[in-house]
This record gives sequence, C-alpha cells and structure tokens, in this order.
Amino acid sequence: MMSRMRKAALLTSLIRSLKDGGSWCGETHIQKAAYFLQTLTNLHLGYQFTLYRYGPFSFDLRADLTALRADGLVTLEAQRPYGSRFVPTGRSEYVQSLYPKTLAKYGSAMDFVSKRLGGKDVSYLERVATALYVMEKAPQDPTPGDTARGVTELKPHISQSRALDAAREIEGIVAQARKEFPS
Amino acid sequence: MARYAHEIRDPIHTFIRLDDDERRVLDSRPFQRLRYIHQLATTYLVYPGATHRRFEHSLGVMELASQVFDVVTDPDNFRDEFRSTLALLAHTDQKAYWRRVVRMAALCHDIGHLPFSHAAEDELLPDGWDHERLTRALVSSDEMQDIWRSLTPPLRHEDIEKLAVGPKKALELNFSRGEEILAEIITGDAFGVDRIDYLLRDSHHAGVAYGKFDHYRLIDTLRILPAAQTNGSGESESPALGMEEGGIQSAEALMLARYFMYSQIYLHRVRRIYDIHLKDFLKSWLGGGMFSTELDDHVTMTDNEIMSALWKAAGAKGKPGHVHARRIVCRDHFKTLYERNPKDLEINMDAGRSVFEEAKRKFGAENFRRDSYGQKSSSGDFPVSRRDGRIESSLVISETLKNIPVVAIDYVFADRSCIEAAQEWLKRNHDRIVQPEREEENDDEPNA
Repeated sequence: MMSRMRKAALLTSLIRSLKDGGSWCGETHIQKAAYFLQTLTNLHLGYQFTLYRYGPFSFDLRADLTALRADGLVTLEAQRPYGSRFVPTGRSEYVQSLYPKTLAKYGSAMDFVSKRLGGKDVSYLERVATALYVMEKAPQDPTPGDTARGVTELKPHISQSRALDAAREIEGIVAQARKEFPS
Repeated sequence: MARYAHEIRDPIHTFIRLDDDERRVLDSRPFQRLRYIHQLATTYLVYPGATHRRFEHSLGVMELASQVFDVVTDPDNFRDEFRSTLALLAHTDQKAYWRRVVRMAALCHDIGHLPFSHAAEDELLPDGWDHERLTRALVSSDEMQDIWRSLTPPLRHEDIEKLAVGPKKALELNFSRGEEILAEIITGDAFGVDRIDYLLRDSHHAGVAYGKFDHYRLIDTLRILPAAQTNGSGESESPALGMEEGGIQSAEALMLARYFMYSQIYLHRVRRIYDIHLKDFLKSWLGGGMFSTELDDHVTMTDNEIMSALWKAAGAKGKPGHVHARRIVCRDHFKTLYERNPKDLEINMDAGRSVFEEAKRKFGAENFRRDSYGQKSSSGDFPVSRRDGRIESSLVISETLKNIPVVAIDYVFADRSCIEAAQEWLKRNHDRIVQPEREEENDDEPNA
C-alpha cells in the first residue's frame, strides 16, 4: 500500500499540474482528474469511485483532501463567483521533494489528464467523466450512441446531444490514453 | 399525514411524537436493542454523565429529519426549477411516501451498531463489514420487512436502506438526485440531522457547552439550492442542501460545535485509549476475535453482555482478556507518550507512526498502542441564497467557515511500566526519529 506521505506528494503534485493546465482546482476538478488518472493511465491511487454528484466520486479521496488540509499541505481559497479551491502550500513542495522518482515516473500521466480537463467547467467534467464511467462498466467497448444512452440514464438532466458529444470526446481520449499508457 | 398517537419525553427536543407504524419499528427487537448500546462508548469513564444510549439519539434523528424535510419541501421554500429533477419532493403523493421513508430511515440509521458503538468497530468485523452494512442487513431482514410490507402504502426496504446510510455506504446503488438530497438530510456532512442531534445530545449528557448551537434557526433556513457555483463554474441543474443567508451564523456555530466536540470529547486522549483497551479485550474474549455478522447474534449482543464479561475477566487472571479488562476496571490505562504537534508536522506528517514503530522496537510491541484519526470531510462549502437572490458558496461569504481547523489526532500511548523510560528516550532521540525517509534513486517503489 502506498504510504500517506507518498500519496500526499502525488495528490499535491496533481493539484499543481491541474492549476498549470488552467483548472480552478475545486473538489470536482480534482475528483474527476483522479478518476481519469486511475482509469486511463499507469497511476493507480487506490480509490474506489461511485456515481455521485457530478459523476464518478470517491469518498476516500475526499477524506484524503481533507487530511491534506489538516496537515497544512493545501489551503482552501474562495473567490466569487466560483466558491472554494485547493491551493498547495510551500510545505507541499517540501513533501514532493522527498519523492522525486515517483513524481518523475507519473509526471506524464498527470500532464495527460491536466491538458484534457484543466480548463473545463463542472458541467463538462460531469458529462465526460460519466461517459468514461459508462464505458468502463460496459463489458466491451460501446458505440458512442450506447455510451450516450448510458449517460442520460444515469444523469437525466444531461441532454441526448450533449451526452453524445461527451461520448465521442471520451472515445478519443481513451484511444490516446491507450497509446500513451498501454497496460 | 399519519396522526401521531405516541409522545416520548426527550431532554433535547422536549417531545418526540410517533404514529402507530413508527411505534411498531420502535418496539422491534433491533430497535429496542439500542437501549443497551452506549452512544459514546467508554466516554463515560472520562465524562461520567455521558451514559446515554443510541435509542434516544435515533428518536431525535427521526424528529429532526422530518423537521428538515418539512422546511425544504414547503412550497414557499421549494424552487420551481427543481420540480422535474426532484419530482419526488414536488408532488403530493410522492412527497408523503418519501417523508415516511425519511422518518423510518432516520429511526433505523443506527440499528447496525456494535456494542459500544464505534469503539469496537474497527478490526472486530470481517473484511467488508461495518455497522452501516449491518444496518442495511437488518432493514432488509424478514422481521423488519414484515413491518415495511404491512404499511399503507408499503415501503420499499431499499429506499429505507439508501436514506439510512447514504451513498458513501451504499456504493453499489445508484441514487437519484432526490434520493441523494434526502440521504443528505440524515447523513450529510454539513447539515445531516444525525450530526445535529449527536452534537446537542452528547454535549448535554457530557455536561459541556461546546456542542450547543441554534439548531432552530439553522433548520428554519435550510433550502435546496443550485450547487454548481460552489464547485468552480458552469451552469448546472444539480441541486444541493444549502441555506438562506440569514442562517449563516447558525451554520458557523454548528461547524464550531463540531470542531470543539471532536477535539474535547470524541477524540479525548483518555477516552481513546480506553476504547483501545476495550478493543484489545474484545479480541481476546470474542470467539475468533471478531463479532458475528449473523443477525440473530447481533440483536442479542449489547453492551450489557460485554460489561458483565469485562468485570468477570478483570477479576480472574486466567480469563481471556484479563489484562485488558483490568486496565479498564482498575483505571490502569496506558499514558500518552506522543501526540501530533505543529512543529513535527512541518517535517513529517506521519511522525506519530515513526515514533510508534521505533518505540515498539526499543521497548516491545506489547507496551505501545497508536491511535490516528482525521476528519473525513470539512463540509463547510454549501450554497447560500443571498438576500438579492444570488447563489454563492458559503466559503465566499463566511471567513469563519473557511478558517475552522480540520481535526486530526495522532497519539502514541505507552504502558505505565515503561512510560518514564520511553519519555526520556523520546526526548533524546526525537529529532532523529521524526525525520522522514527520503526516496533515493535506487529505492524500490511501491506499485502506485
């Protein structure tokens, strides 16, 4: 099992990477990025995701983010109109400096996810992450139409056309990930 | 709405009223068992008044759950934009059904608790089991299903399970947004009535003022609001439990009450080490070192059986668990060798583990116990309806909510026979011990 310190180094590094990718770094952004990392790349953080608010969500990851605050590795900042976001502190850089090899190994995985999710808003994240969730649960690769149907069944407030866009987009992201991070 | 035919006196809510159907649940074996489960485990060894039980807490949670339900579904408070997403709260028939489910789920939310509540839960159940899973098993047991089926209209046990434990403890079930909101009313991190009741009740019985806050004002201002703007942008139709601006100070008081109750009562060092001694006793005393998950065994196992065994074991050297039982009965608990502190955190957030491991190597594993716990959610971020109609995050509005510390503890306890030597050893070696390990080029890396 990964040590608490090593996981803290990875999580704070992910938050920094997301920020560099243009993300607001609210909890939803971090939750979806961690889900993409676990599902599509070689970085497995050991979280169990369930379908919850805005798509796949891990309560264990929420607990770890809260622990990062308790440990002084991130702070919460709030700004109109967006609400709160996580900001790594100077102490997080110290913890990251203890794990140079680990961070080097997973840097490309974090970049991959940050580039694709960094600048996106919550409603986009909900659609594509739910589409990925539907694909992951399917016994074999579904068509975009099948994925879109699965998305609207799980999230009735998402329109069919937006679900289909999300399904096509996620199909492309999965194909790229398989090339870059073959299992 | 069913007529409330029964009234029960309660020190927190004055009267708790039930109808005949709820009375049947109250009189069932799984619920009556809660009369014999201490709400706060061994806390009464530190705060003698804290001898209250899960029974009255569960009644209080039911009372508050329907108060919140009535406020947030009141047509004057319910936003038209959620009429389709939250149809189950907008239409009269569905609303009546779900109000009943909310009350039953609130009533039953703790029936799976083991003896001494949380003290005994970790390590004493098979993998994959916790008190929420036992709660679900009991709610869907034949005994309880007989009640659900006989009601008019009948209640689906799955609905009661969902709301009683929430999505966190029913990962395999899909929750609609409406069901998520209703579960949040009971189990939610921010305004869950489970928490509201236990803070008020535990504070009352422990004899401390930390847990008191204006829950009347808080409940009166709760609303279902659009959540998206609290999560970083974008339009979204997702609703969440929030509040009107006028209630923000009562929410601050709730969060502060939670902080103080955790730091002063729930995570009190002596209470925590007694819980550990109790757990050690149970590992020796229980067959196979674990509680049974058979429901018939569960409903016949209470604090009473364990207290009786504990006192017998404490008085007889040959009995299983004698050493641990004696520590509780004779108040010969381990003493604190180390606790988490800001200075050590700056260099090693896992310093407690390092001290624990080295102390065990130096003085013997049997002489040390460690207790590490962190708050699972900070939960101060919720939507607030401003007086001008805008929806904003509570953290934008309240500096207090943003700055309430997250509670975390890390204690290392030592047997009294070696505490002085261990303290002296730690004083001499502290700086070396708390240094974190640094990853080297040739380290084997765990499979991350």
